[in-house]
Amino acid sequence: MRTIDYLFNPVYDGDYWPPVIATLLVALLAGPLSVLVVLKRLAFIGQGVSHSAFGGVGLAMLAAATGVGFFGASEGGRLLSPLAASIVVPGFALLSALAISRLSRSSGLDAAIGVVLAVSMAIGVQAQSSAGRLALERGLARPPSLERTLFGHVLEVGWFDVAASAAVAIAVGAALWWWRRPLLFWAFDAEGSRVRGVRGGRMRALLLGMLAIAVVVVMQVAGVVLATAMLVLPGAAALRLGRTLGPVFLWSVVLSVLGAAAGVVIGFELDLLLGPSIVAAQAVLLAIAMAAGVARGKMARGRPR
Amino acid sequence: MPASSGSSEVAIEVDGVTVRYPGAVEPAVRSLSLRVNAGERLGVLGPNGGGKSTLLGVILGGVRPSEGRVRVFGHEPGRALALGLVGHVPQRPSLERGFPLTARQVVRQAVSISLPAWRSFGRDAASRVDEMLGLVDSTAYADELVGSLSGGQLQRVLIARAVAPGPRVLLLDEPTTGVDVSGQRRFAEMIDTLVSTLGLTVVTVSHEVRTLAATSDRVACLSRTLHYHDAPHGLTREVLAELFQHDVEAVLDGGVTAHPHAPGEAGVHERGGAAS
Repeated sequence: MRTIDYLFNPVYDGDYWPPVIATLLVALLAGPLSVLVVLKRLAFIGQGVSHSAFGGVGLAMLAAATGVGFFGASEGGRLLSPLAASIVVPGFALLSALAISRLSRSSGLDAAIGVVLAVSMAIGVQAQSSAGRLALERGLARPPSLERTLFGHVLEVGWFDVAASAAVAIAVGAALWWWRRPLLFWAFDAEGSRVRGVRGGRMRALLLGMLAIAVVVVMQVAGVVLATAMLVLPGAAALRLGRTLGPVFLWSVVLSVLGAAAGVVIGFELDLLLGPSIVAAQAVLLAIAMAAGVARGKMARGRPR
Repeated sequence: MPASSGSSEVAIEVDGVTVRYPGAVEPAVRSLSLRVNAGERLGVLGPNGGGKSTLLGVILGGVRPSEGRVRVFGHEPGRALALGLVGHVPQRPSLERGFPLTARQVVRQAVSISLPAWRSFGRDAASRVDEMLGLVDSTAYADELVGSLSGGQLQRVLIARAVAPGPRVLLLDEPTTGVDVSGQRRFAEMIDTLVSTLGLTVVTVSHEVRTLAATSDRVACLSRTLHYHDAPHGLTREVLAELFQHDVEAVLDGGVTAHPHAPGEAGVHERGGAAS
């Protein structure tokens, strides 16, 4: 078992623990959130926000390469300090979530996401490439590859990232719990909840805000492109298994963490990239859940979808 | 029996309300004034586009009048909603039918929303929810998922949801669209029970004469402006024809069927309009 070796062999000096813990924390966070993403059909928004975060990564790197003090170039061989990244990237993600929300009022959600996604990808690619050139000229640490941002870099995750993931997981979890009633009422029936005093605009902002912040930490594990998968798959699978909201949320957390853990183990054993391996494992769980849902639906009354 | 303290208390007051939607040349409703006393059951009859939904929107605070003012038990609409004074049953529910909620949970949602986040749903609230489901004859399918309910069942659940938080006013928007005659009669009976048990003030908006006649004490005809008639006797063929700009056969005795293109059927009231 390589997994056990990686985690417990003193040779590795515990280097694999932060990635594993961060992955599980991210899965814990993505579990309940993914139920809302699926029910409110926010998968495409999530995609928009995560790709926008790519723009934030680019800008943060560019700032680091130009040597703006705070961005602390070349700390620990990195161009970008984790602290700087953990402020700029969520900031950019929140801004783009806001932009999508605003634009969608006039141009429709579909167009809004398309526009924001493309513009921030353009900014991100341009900024990363310029950052690379600048860093080379100034003899700074090389910026990480595009692939790393796009598909995740969980093995580079350190204890700081673990702490950040934990903070985000706790904050999002607490917000979800605190606003569970208005949030779910609004998600189920926006107009009906308005009559009972729920402010739809606030609920929407809250959910998009949580999604933007979550996307940023999920990105460490799964990257820009695959982040949405972790925020959709567990919820989609849970909705096949649980009949009512309580069990659905429970299933979602269980499946999210189970899929992530399985993905990590499979990735370690077969020497695969962890991000894609986790997404694949969660997709398999979805397939199983669908099969189970169909089987149960044949036995008793099924949940109409 | 109705718990409306003081029979002359005004439940809803609409005073000189005009609503102009952005981009529309004609106002949706013009100088609308309306007074509903506590415990009264008012029906609002009118053609499509006559401003019925606008009127409900104004009372619910979702539509802002360009002129005039609205009060619900003395409060402006937003405040009245916040106080839980108003229950609303929409015509076409905007809800997500694929949501994993049972009928009972749908009703619970509307009650639990007023609890602070740290409070759990208590036994009293739970029994209140069950009682409301009983009042609308929905106990049998209380544990079915919303997605598996029929249109009529869903509507009953939504009525239970509207009254469960204990509002004083119930607004019904086209409650019997697509319901057959016997269904309409049962609906009227249910509303009767509900209103007398809970002491509600009811405003029902519809283009169906029969529903309104059976569930209202007084009918207001709305086609941008208002005319009042006592239900059902004031709703003559002439009044209806004028209102709908169409020849209408109104058969209102005990809710017997009316067919617009079958003149000669029994029971048409030919009395003069009793507009007040």
